Amino acid sequence: MQPYEPTIICFSCCFGWGYLTGRDVLSVRIKHWVPVICSGKLDSTHIMKAFREGADGVLILGCPDGDCHFQDGNYQTRKKVHLLHKVLASYGIDPRRLRMELGTDPDGDTIPKLIQNMGRELRQLGPLKVNGQAVEA
Amino acid sequence: MTKKPKVAIYWLGACGGCDEAIVDLNELLLDVASSVEIVLWPLAMDRKYDSIQRLPDRSIALSIIHGNVRNSEHEEMARLLRAKSELVLSFGSCACFGGSTGLANFCGRDSIFEWVYRESPTVENPKGETPKPKSTVDGHSVTLPEILDHVYALNQVIPVDYYLPGCPPPPDLIFHAITAVLEGKLPPRGAALAPQKALCESCPRNNTKPPRIDIKEIRRPHEVEVDSHVCFLVEGVICMGPATRGGCGETCLRINTPCRGCFGPVEGVEDAGAKFLSAFASLVRATTDEQVQSIMEKFHDPVGYLYRFTQPSSTLGKRTKSRGTV
Repeated sequence: MQPYEPTIICFSCCFGWGYLTGRDVLSVRIKHWVPVICSGKLDSTHIMKAFREGADGVLILGCPDGDCHFQDGNYQTRKKVHLLHKVLASYGIDPRRLRMELGTDPDGDTIPKLIQNMGRELRQLGPLKVNGQAVEA
Repeated sequence: MTKKPKVAIYWLGACGGCDEAIVDLNELLLDVASSVEIVLWPLAMDRKYDSIQRLPDRSIALSIIHGNVRNSEHEEMARLLRAKSELVLSFGSCACFGGSTGLANFCGRDSIFEWVYRESPTVENPKGETPKPKSTVDGHSVTLPEILDHVYALNQVIPVDYYLPGCPPPPDLIFHAITAVLEGKLPPRGAALAPQKALCESCPRNNTKPPRIDIKEIRRPHEVEVDSHVCFLVEGVICMGPATRGGCGETCLRINTPCRGCFGPVEGVEDAGAKFLSAFASLVRATTDEQVQSIMEKFHDPVGYLYRFTQPSSTLGKRTKSRGTV
């Protein structure tokens, strides 16, 4: 039997992460990688949908404090993530399954490492359950 | 004499408020009643379920069903009415989205039973009895509908043709819906018989809203007296208007009460709670984790606010019910 490998969806801001490396190159290296124009563009419904459609975890990579190309997109996401942690907890979903990192990495080399680190933690938590039950397809 | 179209009005897991809303059609109800043959309406008439069972399939022109599906009897009646009806109108927030009792899905049936029948300090139940679908009393076998493990919206159990949201739906939309059915002037199946835009579009307070709202403190309605023309969100009071379908007649706003979201999400949105979460977060003036924490800690019971009417139809809460499962 294959060991359990959590599915992690990584949304990353195009202005801070991996913009010097071709998308085709990075998307081969990083499974389930979704570059977005700004982390602030992410809606809570996208994150809910990711969990519904099979994600065990969601990692959001935004620009550093004060360095958002669109002024405050990363701050907007920070507020959403704060509230989402409370909402997810009510669904019985551990807040560690939704993580936000602010920083910058033009080559995108650290993205696989960040996903690996998160994956290590999620392996302890096991497959996602909503209110104690496996997610219905 | 031409045959009048048959109409059934039925409640599932409901409070009865939707029936009251139909009665609130007042004199118009007499016009409706004279144009149709009401074959089932437990609130107003004494008809037995077997009279419905005897009808040919699809012989009822319209079944107006309100309430969610919470027990085996609700499911049985929903399936029976679906089979006998040409059109099914999912009526009210409980039928459309699961409604406020759908919040029970955050706890689960067993823990609710445990609290209600055993742990609650006001309960005296030394034998620890709980309701059971079948019991024997004095040698007689008695049955009760079985509580399901989940609260379902109507369309998660049977196919639904039209939706009319609201807690309860307002009389003008009810009348328009019934008239549209009788006159055959219906939109494509699956549509909500209500406006498509958000409540803020028609809110009378929208005119005084500043270009940018900056919430520095979240306040509950009893903590601040909001002027009757001022947007609640400007005052830091949580109002679900930005993510809620309009059409309710702004009745809550007119009595100086913020929107609670009973009309559910706007057209094209599945998860009203998540959508409002995004809208609301963008209005909060905070950048650092500490600021976010300090303002948001006054957002008490977020899921209670966000999913007050829509948990069973939310992205993570939705489930479909197949026949024979609990």
